[in-house]
Amino acid sequence: MKNYILKRVLISVFTLLVITLVLFCLLQLMPGSPFNDEKLTDDQRTVLYEKYGLDDPIPVQFVRYVANMVQGDFGVSYNISKNTPISQLIQSRLPISIQVGGMAVALGAVVGLLLGVIAALNHNTILDSICTAISVLGVSVPSYVFALGLSYVFGFRLKLFPMLYSANEAFMSSVLPSVALSMFTMASIARFTRNEMMEVLGSEFMLLAESKGVTGAPLILRHALRNAMIPIITVLAPLIVDLMTGSLVVEKIFSIPGVGSLLVTAIQSNDYNVVISLSFIYSAMYIGIMLVVDILYGIIDPRIRVTGEGGRPGFFARWRRVWFGNKKKGAKA
Amino acid sequence: MNLWKRMGAAALAGALALSLVACGGGGDSSAPAGSTAGGGSSTAAETTGSKVLNVMVEVEVASLDPQLATDGTSFEVIADYTDGLMQMDAEGAAVPAIAESYEVSEDGCTYTFHLRDDAVWSNGDPVTANDFVFAWQRAADPATASEYSYMTSDIAQIKNAAEIIAGEKDKSELGVTAVDDKTLQVELNVPVPYFLSLMYFPTFYPVNQAFYESLEEGTFGTSPETVLSNGAFILDSYEPAALSFSLVKNPDYYDADSIQLDGLNYQVIKDSQQAFMSYQNGDLDIVKLSGDQVDQVQGDPELSVQGAGYLWYLTLNMAEVPALANQNMRLALTHAIDRVAIVEDVVKDGSLATYTAVPPQFATGPDGSDFSADQTMFSDVCSDDPTKAAEYFEAAKQELGTDTFTFDLLVEDTTESQNVAAVIQEQIQTNLPGVTVSITVEPKKQRVEDIQDGNYEVCLTRWGPDYADPMTYLNMWITDNNNNYGKWSNPDYDQIIADCTTGQYVSDAAARWQAMYDAEKIIMDEAVIVPVYTKADANMIKSNVTGIEFHPVALNRVYKNTTKG
Repeated sequence: MKNYILKRVLISVFTLLVITLVLFCLLQLMPGSPFNDEKLTDDQRTVLYEKYGLDDPIPVQFVRYVANMVQGDFGVSYNISKNTPISQLIQSRLPISIQVGGMAVALGAVVGLLLGVIAALNHNTILDSICTAISVLGVSVPSYVFALGLSYVFGFRLKLFPMLYSANEAFMSSVLPSVALSMFTMASIARFTRNEMMEVLGSEFMLLAESKGVTGAPLILRHALRNAMIPIITVLAPLIVDLMTGSLVVEKIFSIPGVGSLLVTAIQSNDYNVVISLSFIYSAMYIGIMLVVDILYGIIDPRIRVTGEGGRPGFFARWRRVWFGNKKKGAKA
Repeated sequence: MNLWKRMGAAALAGALALSLVACGGGGDSSAPAGSTAGGGSSTAAETTGSKVLNVMVEVEVASLDPQLATDGTSFEVIADYTDGLMQMDAEGAAVPAIAESYEVSEDGCTYTFHLRDDAVWSNGDPVTANDFVFAWQRAADPATASEYSYMTSDIAQIKNAAEIIAGEKDKSELGVTAVDDKTLQVELNVPVPYFLSLMYFPTFYPVNQAFYESLEEGTFGTSPETVLSNGAFILDSYEPAALSFSLVKNPDYYDADSIQLDGLNYQVIKDSQQAFMSYQNGDLDIVKLSGDQVDQVQGDPELSVQGAGYLWYLTLNMAEVPALANQNMRLALTHAIDRVAIVEDVVKDGSLATYTAVPPQFATGPDGSDFSADQTMFSDVCSDDPTKAAEYFEAAKQELGTDTFTFDLLVEDTTESQNVAAVIQEQIQTNLPGVTVSITVEPKKQRVEDIQDGNYEVCLTRWGPDYADPMTYLNMWITDNNNNYGKWSNPDYDQIIADCTTGQYVSDAAARWQAMYDAEKIIMDEAVIVPVYTKADANMIKSNVTGIEFHPVALNRVYKNTTKG
């Protein structure tokens, strides 16, 4: 187990480094500079490039950047907030994004699980159809549509929640964005839970448990749901990362001072350091979440650890399962 | 063993659940998440009260450092709490502010400003001449890397500014001196007719040297504690790139008695639908509308349209596209466009159809009149006239020896630009049979790079005025200027511009004004550009709010005379 974790961590660190390098190179291909290209002459641009060290060759810039980054220095913003250290920009914004995202994940996971279980237990009834309809809507309608709709109904018409984020009412003003963000997670989890539960419910060991006299809640919770949970945790991870992407738009709509809205602005204005730092953080979170899931996975289902990595479905297999159902069962083969 | 595993699993699952709960519940009132940054700067501690104006802006403040800021939002906020030597009156004219009075030498090259005795910074220090010397030297100093350093050199023509920017001279040699604490002397290379109007431009605002140097490097302007106010308001809450922040009235402002507002709350809203709903909700007192929203509120007394000074025009690549090098072809294009239809049916926000190379509404001449008030001045060479377009087109076809042409129209990826481009495409193809127009859409940064490199055929682009003088436009079309995207060149034109900026007309305002019309006539006669429309901003302003002053140049909105009742 220790070796397994160590190996995972090393691979993660290496991946992050590669991501940073690729980003660095890609940014050089972006048109224009971080500065006001329309108004500046070449001479003025040269002065600015020198000041920020942008005139050095890319390898030199990269090594310098990574060296600084290791010491916690992510550079300064060039135009979103001129000369402000990125760490300062992110420090105040990351907790807000995590808060909204965390609420969305919690909401999506809990409601999605409930919907999925209800649908599976009431297979082929009207309840099942309703749950399925909700999950189809949740998967197919983009989060910003929910965001605008919720904002109009609950913010503008009913005035139950603030329409814009306010630090004074952080919780209340996070509700609508969290709900909007959670829809995709909720729908995916519901759909997936339903599939998994159906399969588990139809399996032989359920029949055995039932014939041994286990009924009601214990049967569902201890036997069915627990077995269905393993693949669900796996899909939850990429869904959490998906939330980050969704947050880019939702943060803009609700004027949430989070990292998502910052990243959009940064990309549009070529604010290189902000783009790299935020992409790095997003990648780190993604990889971190996958790492945690891999470890969790090994703990919850000992068979995985015993049979080694070969028994786990790969990244694409997990995605295929989310999108195309559960026809191939790599995990429990 | 099995038990250990179970416990481990339970612990991990519990930790995950807890972290989710912590994330979810962490937002209640006690700890605003933003308070960790910037040594105690609070986030959006809203100023409340009936006389507090709630203002919407579309983008974050990029910098509160007056010498680094370049965008309208930053300028507006900096000017809320900082006065320059001069400030803008409601009409945009320069009126004394920190400078009580001034003298101009006979040759027009030396300005002496006398500073008010009662102007103080919010830490109690008096505002001195040295505050200006320090700030202006920063603006020109290459180490500051100010994007607007050229305001001190090319535009204001301050002695030695160009050499300092180029690194040839030390910043201490800049032609600005503090004769004593309250007397500032500025030396210019040549007389600059609009020099006083530059004094309300934030690049020329003062910075208290002692205060600046007492701060940790790089922290100036990042929080209420790291800026000083000498203006109508004081920054109350702010952090870098904040989406909401506020200002309160400055009781020590020399003109505090005439300031009616108790404060300002700013809210950055990037989604126009949300912004408009917030206004209707009563959360905002002023909101900027998109073209479609203007349609919904036509006739509403709260709707208010202000000129923004930006000219949208077509630039034609004469150097690379032979057909566009033909003057008759260019004139055919400029007549083939129906500008009125574009502003009324597409843009819809009150923007003006424009038939002059210098747009109206931003530059007033020696006699106080708008340089481009008369939009029919060049109607013989620029109008919405399909018949004339056809005539020029016939001539062009003869000269070029072909009757089919294809042009690619480059536009940026905003909705408005793309809509306008689609209409222009249709108008040209209808009015000039044989011309095919294709449209290429690019992000703005890419579009600007492409036209600067000459890598385009026709481009819908824009230019905003940097200062209240027609030269901010006319200077673009001199030979080899960066923004002369058509690579057009005319020695007569270059000569007139040189005469107006550094030559014979610099000290004769009336003659200079006339010469600029002569220059503009050359541009229009040769159809160097195809002016399309002058951008306006459509705002909704609550009926109990009066006296917000709008300007197309430098400070877009000024609240000193604003009342909210």
